[in-house]
Amino acid sequence: MTINLLQDKGMPLSRQGMSWKDMVGKPISKLDDDAFTRVRAILLNGLELDSLRTKQVALRCNADARVQLAQLMRVEQHQATTINWLIGADHSPLETTIGYEQTAIEVTASVAQLEPDPYLAQGYRYALLEDFDHLYRYSALLDRLEGKDANNITQGYTDIVPARPTSEHHRAPEHDLLEPYGAGAALATKLHALTLTGGEYQTHDYYMNIGPLFADPVARQLYAEIASVESQHIVHYGSMLNPHETPLEKLLISEACEVWNYAGAAAQETNPRIRAIWERFLDYELGHLQVALQLFKDLERRDPAEVLGDGLLPRFIEFQSQRGFVRHVVENETQLRKDGTQFVDQSEEGETSLAYRSVVNAAGSPSTNVSATWTWAPGTELTRGAEAFKRVA
Amino acid sequence: MQATTTGKNRTGAATAQEGVRAMLEANARWAPAEPIDTTMADADRSFYVFESDSVGSIPPPVTIQSMLKTGLNKLVGERPEVLMDKIGERLAFERTGTRLYDALIVKYETLVESGDMPDLPTPPDMGDADVASTLERIRAEEHEHFLMLSDVMTSLGGDPTAQTPCADVTGVASMGLMQVVTDPRTTFAQALNAMLIAELTDNAGWELLTTLAEEAGESDIAEQFQRAKAEEEEHLVIVNNWFTALVTASFATVAA
Repeated sequence: MTINLLQDKGMPLSRQGMSWKDMVGKPISKLDDDAFTRVRAILLNGLELDSLRTKQVALRCNADARVQLAQLMRVEQHQATTINWLIGADHSPLETTIGYEQTAIEVTASVAQLEPDPYLAQGYRYALLEDFDHLYRYSALLDRLEGKDANNITQGYTDIVPARPTSEHHRAPEHDLLEPYGAGAALATKLHALTLTGGEYQTHDYYMNIGPLFADPVARQLYAEIASVESQHIVHYGSMLNPHETPLEKLLISEACEVWNYAGAAAQETNPRIRAIWERFLDYELGHLQVALQLFKDLERRDPAEVLGDGLLPRFIEFQSQRGFVRHVVENETQLRKDGTQFVDQSEEGETSLAYRSVVNAAGSPSTNVSATWTWAPGTELTRGAEAFKRVA
Repeated sequence: MQATTTGKNRTGAATAQEGVRAMLEANARWAPAEPIDTTMADADRSFYVFESDSVGSIPPPVTIQSMLKTGLNKLVGERPEVLMDKIGERLAFERTGTRLYDALIVKYETLVESGDMPDLPTPPDMGDADVASTLERIRAEEHEHFLMLSDVMTSLGGDPTAQTPCADVTGVASMGLMQVVTDPRTTFAQALNAMLIAELTDNAGWELLTTLAEEAGESDIAEQFQRAKAEEEEHLVIVNNWFTALVTASFATVAA
């Protein structure tokens, strides 16, 4: 089915509603469902939460759109609940974390290849290498803290090796920024940047919530360290967004972004029960878009085609292993660093980042300590036998 | 509810052989195996252990008078707070144990209603008591133990509604048990396995508590604890028998 954002109406907002039982359905199976079903659930939950965030900002800026925004937010919040509750209770917080990092890697790698703007594509590849390294550090923690193999979550789709070391992700704030896309940017560019911004927000907020649940001080440190980097990533991707867009223009892009992501998820979902949820919510989002389109026309007196072009959806994110692409980026771009909004060689990194890093890493690096000498092995590093362990008296 | 059978489990290296082969290639390029050395993380953990505060404190007696009246100082020699902390732990565990059985009973009744619950062995020396009434009896005894411990705590001058450090820590240890029993997807056998952990811990806990009371020469309290311990021993046998029967059954059921 070809969707046109300017023509397809979806389900009217007034007919959208869910019971608590609808929202709290059966979770996915950690053991039996495909890892990409979890990836889609994590991504779409992040999208929903970001759409709520966008609307809350719009609410504060638009006296005439308050009722419609409040009505939209009620449904979006229930959609987010439905999706987030798909994660089964047998996922430990650390196992869910592995799922979050796999989502970041595979989705960012796909977006980096879809992005038409070469500078922004560079931006995706840059942060991809950091989330890729986070997967390695958290996998080491999962192995050494809980005695579990991260590959039981990632299911062989994603390599688990280091890239740009997490200890070097810590930049001074001014070096986290990117140049934003302009008003004439392709719709794909707008949707890519918003999707990744929402994803990083969700990851940051998740780590901030679950970090304190750990008793182990090394785990608490690692979550503190990586949550800080995820906050940098929110700025990294968030600064790609055109700051001259009005709140209602951002609302329009946000609704289009949800349509695009649900359509991509529904087209590729392998679990029929979950696909039905994506299809239902695609219908909801087309209905939300109608409200956003009307607000845009009524309050801004502008043509939505200025923002959405011809209304055709860009190519979908590909939910499949991006191993070859990721390896190429690891091989060629790990040494890159930031200087202001530019990507530079390690030797030219912005000096204030070096100073900042020396402060946060002054008492050691949690990500380095937790993963020292760790190599992923099928069934955890304990399968390497007692002789592999070096005990220091 | 569905039976747990062989199916498309996607975990493990064998189900993703191509992916795992690729992951090992990536290891060879970017993370070759070297001798495992966790010294840095261990040192960090040691630092925190050394520097840490306690979980919290043991609540003081509600009144010094009641403490003197009951002779608590005499009761456990120079460290009366130890007994109060351990009574607080047992009290919390029995209270949570009551709730664990509440959850187990719901699961059991649902399986019976749907015709998915096989016969389970009748506990020895219990006549014709069926599984449902036995579950209710065990639940009632857990509840009684909680109430008895509350009375003992009060009689010793303590506050049975306060949370002692050992009560707090045992609550942390029990979190996974409640997660297993209340998960709608777990079988009755999987839930019983969690109950087995609870009952084994409970048995050891009552043994310690009885010893503490006996060593203090407080025979009335020790006797009450001994009675509770005897009941917990029986719970352990019953739960273990049911669990073993389900797991060793010759045919698959939803309950196992």
